[in-house]
Amino acid sequence: MAIDPIHENFQQVALSSSDTVSPNSEGIALQVERLGLQLDGKVILQEISFSLPVKGVTSVIGPSGAGKSSLLRCLNGLLTQWSGSVAVNGCDTRKWRGGWDQLRRHVGLIAQKPVVFNTSIRTNVCFGLKSWRQRRHADELVEKSLRQAALWNEVKDRLNEPATTLSMGQQQRLCIARALAINPRILLLDEPTASLDPHSKQLIEQSMLQIAEQTPLVCVTHDLAQAQRLQGPVIFMCDGRIIEQGPGEQLFSQPQRIETREFINWSVCDCD
Amino acid sequence: MNTSRLQYRDTISKSIVWLLAIPALLVPTIILGYIFWKAAPVLDWDFISGTADGAGFGVTEGIFAQLLGSLLLAVMACVMAAPFALGTALYYRIYASPRQQQLLIVMFNMLQGIPPIVFGLCGLVMLVNLFAWGVSLLSGAVVLAIVLLPLLVLNTLAALERIPLNYTEAGRALGLDSGAIIWRLRLPRSWLNLLTGLLLAMARALSETAPIMFTATVFSGVVWPDSLFSPVTTLQTHIFYLAQEGNNPQVINIAWGSAAVLVLLVAAFGLIARVLKKLEAD
Repeated sequence: MAIDPIHENFQQVALSSSDTVSPNSEGIALQVERLGLQLDGKVILQEISFSLPVKGVTSVIGPSGAGKSSLLRCLNGLLTQWSGSVAVNGCDTRKWRGGWDQLRRHVGLIAQKPVVFNTSIRTNVCFGLKSWRQRRHADELVEKSLRQAALWNEVKDRLNEPATTLSMGQQQRLCIARALAINPRILLLDEPTASLDPHSKQLIEQSMLQIAEQTPLVCVTHDLAQAQRLQGPVIFMCDGRIIEQGPGEQLFSQPQRIETREFINWSVCDCD
Repeated sequence: MNTSRLQYRDTISKSIVWLLAIPALLVPTIILGYIFWKAAPVLDWDFISGTADGAGFGVTEGIFAQLLGSLLLAVMACVMAAPFALGTALYYRIYASPRQQQLLIVMFNMLQGIPPIVFGLCGLVMLVNLFAWGVSLLSGAVVLAIVLLPLLVLNTLAALERIPLNYTEAGRALGLDSGAIIWRLRLPRSWLNLLTGLLLAMARALSETAPIMFTATVFSGVVWPDSLFSPVTTLQTHIFYLAQEGNNPQVINIAWGSAAVLVLLVAAFGLIARVLKKLEAD
């Protein structure tokens, strides 16, 4: 019997739709309101508010220590001690049916350094599927996910080989395929191309743009040129706050804030 | 401070460190050398593979029965303790609150400090007498399993902890719950470390004498155990009994031979554990 994990995910979202906090959430995939985070008494994020359209890539730029990665971890539920509100498809993530584990299935997160599990390429792609039966009958899903991640042509003949034999760039695309296989509502990428060669970077960017036609993406990047290439809205963060946000073209050509201008021109930020 | 004075101080501190380190390295080496030197006259294949048939048991014939008895007890104890150790480690990792975790660690460290003879005594009272299992392979294996349990739990915990954080975080980012992370990520990834811990526990089991002395072993009259409820002979207690016959040089030589074989056996387990650890690190 073929199992459809996508259908299962739809059902779970439908079940949680009663927890709507944002009545005007049409056309908005993610709504973040006054998000704040303190860890060990240190303020990491404060007053973060933004929304994501239902498709496209939103880039988050900013200097190291600005809180970009922490923001993604709050959205994905890996960090849960934040204040404020986060709504995915109009549903409050704190009241997500099934809790944080279930939320993480809908808000995928790709780390900066690719982490593949010590199994075959195929098993890696299916790793997030819930039941053994789903994982067993997932040939179509494996192919679809690997195609979306622009990896299918390179691995289609060696799906049963260990994933650790892939290059770093391929491993990162495998991680993207693995996250896509569970059909997330939103995909968060934390510097996905840092420390990759230009060819892998280009492939991943192409794949991101393709995925973004159906799924909203948030991409944290240090690479300003990459943020421009991804063409979507840009959020500039510094010292745990959003300094400026807006369409990429506008933010890069006519930044409104002096901190943004300094960061774009000299990659420095003095926002204290 | 001038250079010569600094050099002088450096030489002094280096000498002190060497003076303290040399005995720690030299004494065990001398002891091991002495054991093998004394064991050399009896140490041959016949001695290791020979099996006593009753008369002159342990004195004139080989130690194969004792060797096998030791291994049998160690393997049985590890097989008995391993599932409980794994269960305890998983409980610790998945379900225990921080307070319970603290309590468990204190308890297992404390249990590790209890002299094994105390467990032997408990085994004698409870298993041998109260449950009427008698001095038997089963009684000895159970007592040895209890002795090994804290070590195995701590080894299993260490093996599970050694998984890099980003590995489990990648699993959590996929929405896997704690149980799935343990069963599908941590355990498959740490099996080599778990095996290493098991082998080290086997080595420890082979060096334990006190817990089995009251509960499992006899010196003579037994070659192979007929059942789980039969007594067994082991190298550890064999050496103990032979050493008491201090006046007979032939007996003492055989005790040295047995000791050398036991040392080699423990070293072999330690060596395999080391190889596995290296494999895991690579």
